[in-house]
Amino acid sequence: MLAYILRRVFQSAVVLLVVGLVAFSMFRFVGDPVDNMLGQERTQADVERLRETLGLDDPFPVQYWNFLGEAFQGNFGMSYRQGRPVAEILMERAPATLELAAVSGLFAMSLGIGLGVFTAIRRDGFAANAIMTVSLVGVSLPTFLIGILLIYLFSVELGWLPSFGRGDVVRVGGWSTGFLTESGLKALILPSITLGLYQMTLIMRLVRSEMLEVLRTDYIRFARARGLRERTVNFRHALKNTMVPVITVTGLQLGSIIAFAIITETVFQWPGVGLLFINAIQFVDIPVMAAYLMLISVMFVGINLIVDLLYVAIDPRLRGDTARGH
Amino acid sequence: MARLSLAVALTVLVGTTTHASEFRWASTTDPQTMDPHAVNSTPVLSFLNNVYEGLVRRGKDMTLEPSLATSWEPLENGGGWRFYLREGVTFHDGSAFTAEDVLWSYQRASSVLADTASWFSPVAAMVAKDDYTVEIRTKAPNPIFPDSIANWMIMDKGWSDANEAQYPAKDGENYATLHANGTGPFLLVERDPGLSTVLEPNSDWWGEAEHNLTRATFTPIQNPATAVAALLSGDIDMINPVPIQDAARLEQAPGVDLIRGTETRVIMLGFDQTSPELLSGAGPNPFLDERVRRAVSMAVNVPAILQTIMRGSAEPASQLVPAGLRGYSEANAARPDLDLDGARALLAEAGYPDGFSFELKCTNDRYLNDASVCQAVVAMLAQIGLEVTLDAMPVRNYWTELRADNFDMYLLGWSPGTFDAEHPLRFLAHTPVADLGTWNFGGYSNARIDALLPLIQSEIDESARQAMLDETAAILQQEVAYVPLYVQPLLWGVRDGITVTQRPDNFFMLRWVNLAD
Repeated sequence: MLAYILRRVFQSAVVLLVVGLVAFSMFRFVGDPVDNMLGQERTQADVERLRETLGLDDPFPVQYWNFLGEAFQGNFGMSYRQGRPVAEILMERAPATLELAAVSGLFAMSLGIGLGVFTAIRRDGFAANAIMTVSLVGVSLPTFLIGILLIYLFSVELGWLPSFGRGDVVRVGGWSTGFLTESGLKALILPSITLGLYQMTLIMRLVRSEMLEVLRTDYIRFARARGLRERTVNFRHALKNTMVPVITVTGLQLGSIIAFAIITETVFQWPGVGLLFINAIQFVDIPVMAAYLMLISVMFVGINLIVDLLYVAIDPRLRGDTARGH
Repeated sequence: MARLSLAVALTVLVGTTTHASEFRWASTTDPQTMDPHAVNSTPVLSFLNNVYEGLVRRGKDMTLEPSLATSWEPLENGGGWRFYLREGVTFHDGSAFTAEDVLWSYQRASSVLADTASWFSPVAAMVAKDDYTVEIRTKAPNPIFPDSIANWMIMDKGWSDANEAQYPAKDGENYATLHANGTGPFLLVERDPGLSTVLEPNSDWWGEAEHNLTRATFTPIQNPATAVAALLSGDIDMINPVPIQDAARLEQAPGVDLIRGTETRVIMLGFDQTSPELLSGAGPNPFLDERVRRAVSMAVNVPAILQTIMRGSAEPASQLVPAGLRGYSEANAARPDLDLDGARALLAEAGYPDGFSFELKCTNDRYLNDASVCQAVVAMLAQIGLEVTLDAMPVRNYWTELRADNFDMYLLGWSPGTFDAEHPLRFLAHTPVADLGTWNFGGYSNARIDALLPLIQSEIDESARQAMLDETAAILQQEVAYVPLYVQPLLWGVRDGITVTQRPDNFFMLRWVNLAD
């Protein structure tokens, strides 16, 4: 067991290092940060001085090595654009992204399960078919288009919700939250729907197909035969047994909600890490790009590691395999 | 816990208080820094002009006006300028403004760590005669020096010392990156980089307020569609720029006004005029021949570009600066007419009767509709038998490519920082040597222009200076050093009832904003 865990942790570390190496080898194709940092009247000497200070003339493995050395000491460098420590900027922006991800995850889960059950029970009903058709549209439209459509409908035409930003936020310790003000909550609605729509459709379709499967099984028929109420049969007996794959998929989707937040954040000018990353690309802000990519890969690798370890905990056969393997 | 919830309640209260005449505006770019000497770019200088002030400033029509200096005059021997400073001015922190702060700001803004050092390259020394008189001695007579320092902003020496912000920080952080202490009409109240920046009027300002604002909030909105939606929904009072394709729609939308003008930026085509061969290696470089360059200038249908791609929002350009700027050559105001037969004849004469193939480099996110303009140029040149491969790329890769000579022809926009025709001569027309001709990627070179530049820089007599500028404009047209296409438009969107002033340098001054009552 311990050997398996250690091996998986080691593999995760290797994945992280490779992601970082690939990222650094790409950075020089993103552009030259010096052009953005100096105005049009700069001299060649200014350019060379700045390149020297930033270490941009070093070959990329050297730059990567320096980055790693500093990162291990918790120092992610200074943002070229803002001139402030990257770690500080990321910490400032993280609450916005995490709150958005949490709300849209919640939205996707609750509505996805609810609609999934509904469309499974009323599989031939008009409403169920309508929902399935509309959900197809939701999946096939790109996120930024959905976002813009929502903004035009609810902000420009109806004037109900803000068109961009986070509204008023309240600082609780080092965390800025939009949950405690009316404008903050209003501002969460459209971006959460935009971000969660795809996941919601996914969960809905998954729940629906699982439910249809379960509803055909013998124990459901027996439950019906015993005269149990329809609601008890559907929710206590059927839904419960569809939840295992749903939870697995949802867990894995959590990472992509945070990563996909980039597009939603750009459309809604949502001040999270995704927007920070887009700005960093436009400005060739290498320290911010590097830290963001490492952060996202740590998150994905971490989630996968936990899932792997959970499988081992749940499934004794995996443990047996590993033991024999050694 | 009780204290925490009280603090929370207070923050909520402050956060949601609505301000009677609060003004909210948005632009695509957040100013990188609040340090007026760290970055020489329009977003930074435009924003900080509300907070900091220079010795001189520009008025609504770009004319030079007194600001922290009440008057100025050339030194007796022509070796510089004397500025008489305004008395009784205080910085936002209450300390008095004196000549010491001017000298300090000169040191700071001209240091190697500053991005504004080039403004001071003509300066030999700066001397305080008394607390309110400063002499700036230049290496040679310099008639346009006051014009070139309109964006040189004065910082308080005491404040910079106390907060350890003695030098501008370009790749790091210091106190002045996030805080500001100027003499200007607005105070910096809150600064969240990339999120929002809040200004409030300075009640102790020396000038008379022409605005009626009590608070102004700036938010960067990168996505143009979001910005337009925010303006239409009333979440934002003013956006800059309006995407060209949305201009007509905003003009018709109720509750919103479109403000059109032209920027001082001339969009032009440049040529590789030094490489012996084309980039593809397919043969000798035809652009070394003046006739080929002229053929290009005759084949590009600028009115058609303006009509279709710029949707009638831009003005054609004939030289490197737009009409109306100081030093613009009235004598050379004519553009070459569209003449496809003439262009074909010139190509045949130059030895290319069947045309040739080459590569055009172009940005796709730097100038308004830049990639579409380049596509149109490709189609227009095809009519005279030139087969153009278009390579459009983001600006963050663009300058690197141009500096590495990876082009046959390229697109460039130039806005003269001094609003004077001498500026593009120095950067675009002078032979590239040391600190001159630094943006002359094509390597255009003309001995007469190189000889005229220092004379223009030091000529005090206006008409003699203009005569030399006319001569350079004529040479550049004669040799087709560049093909100026058009002057880039400025498109701002504001809510009805708000008056703003649009200046050709695309600076946005809060002190001229008035909200409807």
